[in-house]
Amino acid sequence: MLNNYNGLAQPFWQNGPAPGQFYHFTGGQQQIQNLPRELTTAGPYGTQRNTARITTGSSVLGIRFDGGVMIAADTMVSYGSLSRYQSIDRVFKINEKILLGGGDDFADIQSIKRTIDQKMIADQCRADEIEMKPTELAMWLTRVLYNRRTRMNPLFIDVVVGGVNAEGKPFLGNVDLRGRFYEDFVVATGFARHLAIPLVRESKPAGREFTAEEASNLIRKCMEVLYYRDTRNTSKYTVGVCTPSGSVVEGPYKVDENWSFASTIKGY
Amino acid sequence: MALAEICKISNAPYMRRTAWDLSDVEEDLKAHTSNLANPYTLAAPPFENPMHNLNLIQANADKTGIKIDFDHGTTTLGFKYKGGVILAVDSRATGGQYIGSQTMKKIVEINQFLLGTLAGGAADCVYWDRVLSKECRLHELRNKERISVAAASKIMANIAHEYKGMGLSMGMMLAGYDKRGPGLYYVDSEGSRTPGNLFSVGSGSLFAYGVLDSGYHWDLEDDVAQELGRRAIYHATFRDAYSGGIIRVYHMTPTGWIKISETDCMELHYKYEEQKAQAAAAAQ
Amino acid sequence: MSNLGFQQFPEYQVPGVQQADFSPYESNGGSIVAIAGDDFVVIAADTRLSSGYNIHSRDQSKLFKLSDQTVLGSTGCWADTLSLTGLLKVRMQGYEHTHLRTMATDAVAQMLSITMYNRRFFPYYVSNILAGIDKDGKGVVYSYDPIGHCERAFYRAGGTAGTLLQPVLDNQIGHKNINLSSSELPKLTIERAVAIASDTFISAAERDIYTGDSVLINIITKDGIEEKKLQLRLD
Repeated sequence: MLNNYNGLAQPFWQNGPAPGQFYHFTGGQQQIQNLPRELTTAGPYGTQRNTARITTGSSVLGIRFDGGVMIAADTMVSYGSLSRYQSIDRVFKINEKILLGGGDDFADIQSIKRTIDQKMIADQCRADEIEMKPTELAMWLTRVLYNRRTRMNPLFIDVVVGGVNAEGKPFLGNVDLRGRFYEDFVVATGFARHLAIPLVRESKPAGREFTAEEASNLIRKCMEVLYYRDTRNTSKYTVGVCTPSGSVVEGPYKVDENWSFASTIKGY
Repeated sequence: MALAEICKISNAPYMRRTAWDLSDVEEDLKAHTSNLANPYTLAAPPFENPMHNLNLIQANADKTGIKIDFDHGTTTLGFKYKGGVILAVDSRATGGQYIGSQTMKKIVEINQFLLGTLAGGAADCVYWDRVLSKECRLHELRNKERISVAAASKIMANIAHEYKGMGLSMGMMLAGYDKRGPGLYYVDSEGSRTPGNLFSVGSGSLFAYGVLDSGYHWDLEDDVAQELGRRAIYHATFRDAYSGGIIRVYHMTPTGWIKISETDCMELHYKYEEQKAQAAAAAQ
Repeated sequence: MSNLGFQQFPEYQVPGVQQADFSPYESNGGSIVAIAGDDFVVIAADTRLSSGYNIHSRDQSKLFKLSDQTVLGSTGCWADTLSLTGLLKVRMQGYEHTHLRTMATDAVAQMLSITMYNRRFFPYYVSNILAGIDKDGKGVVYSYDPIGHCERAFYRAGGTAGTLLQPVLDNQIGHKNINLSSSELPKLTIERAVAIASDTFISAAERDIYTGDSVLINIITKDGIEEKKLQLRLD
């Protein structure tokens, strides 16, 4: 390896020996590269590290509408089945063009959020009037998460990235712990994948996007359903809205609770 | 920050940059395409003992629904005789129970005087044959002389030995013609390298050996030798589920290799059937 | 399992819930079909992105345009697909800048094989089919196994419904088990290739839960790429 940095002893030919060295048949000059193996010993597939989530957020729901995106999440962060933290915002404003909703392990969300904030500060320090766009953040996240999963040391996060791009076009996507990424008019994490996505898909008008009003009504309805049916949910939620004129996180709002139907549910 | 520098705090593990930066893009690209620059540098897996642990992923298939099935090649044979070397192979590639291909090329043309056969992991064999072909060409350029079959097979055995225990799966024959005459070597992923007159490799090899042994001797005529190889592979395709497709026969002569034939084994089946019927009729 | 996990706090464990080991792979489904003709090649892939019983997106293209003459269809673990195609795009851009020309289909095919083999000991979980026009102007299809074994062919199906679709292609395109003389066999035109590709996907959507929603068809000729979209079952 040293030879690669030694200007005096360049190899005779590509991968060949340097002067005074032997030709190494199969290894060339480069060593077989070692990926960093943090904390490795035996475990699942021969690695050992924490494969559990400790403090977790449940659902995040994002809806794209004609002028931007809306991302909503309730304010609960649970510790197993314990409702540990009951008023934590899980929708973040990253900059005027990006919103981030974080689900799954909250420690990992906070960690990645810190790094993103650092990037935003670096972005501002350049003062070149170029702001990061949601597509860029989403792609960056896929690289970070894919690299971590490839090292079998994943960040247990499932995030919704939304915002508007340079032309003011809305963008909404999801990145998961393996670096899987996709864009759609509705994306969700946690229980909202099962409960909210069908509701939103069902009310999608053919041939056009939602209006802002339709989107906000849907969010209200979905957060209510989630509160009724997801045990890891609380009645408070925050909503981030991003349009070409900027992004803002509003709330917390309270789900319009109505338990009068409860007495009619039987069978369990 | 200066104080942090003096105190070497920035070297502390918790201060290390962990997430991805622009400077990592190039590193990442290099790491994931390292073998385009140097074919011997493959990405290291994030776990120890890949042979064992990749199998664990396979073993979890019923839970995860994920089964990574590589293409495998099967029956190949080769023998030396007075007229050179005959190589004969089938063309079926199987990934698990699925026939991935019926037209796979299991004889790799390394150069005009060197052929490699391919059994076991298809990608392993093809990739390392390609590397071998490069090494052989470099040998020619450096030494102004073609590489001997012995030396070429030793390069391959060295490669296999370097990766021993990592889970490569190769069983290949290298056939060639050099100044020592015809050469035939068996090299496998365990790192063994054996010269010999007659080999058959792969799951159908038992059937091929049966036919081969009954018809083989050194002084075969060219057409008889070629037909012997073809017939041996045909019988393997008939009895071994993992073998089939097209039967290819190559002949290594003092002036380089020649492709003799490529015949569908179904066609051969009916041809041999008819020959048998004719022989029976003649005997009566 | 690590001693930092829930095992350490048994009182917080939810009964009946098992903490699963992290699996680096996920199957996101999808199918690809590619058919090559004399001077064209057709490649089609469905647009459903799913895992388990969830459909994440009904409109995710699995065809990656690598150049005006080459398209890659890639399914399997979507994160792996994104990573691999990203690498390819960067390499091809580099090639274009150093050599001042676009990488030929055959060269892309070889590069893809080597790039996939780089991860021999921790493979990409992907099913790749590369379609393009080769240097002689002929349509060509390359198919791959997960560690980069590559074979040149004229027609190929891959992905979750690959095992369902390949026999249909063997019959309709490869004319296997058809007792007609070569003059009686239908000629493979663009229209016929597109029709067969569409039909196979309609059939796959009937029987494979990971294939459906719609199918994107790319028709590659020397003049460029034409795109078509066909609606499939949404269930």
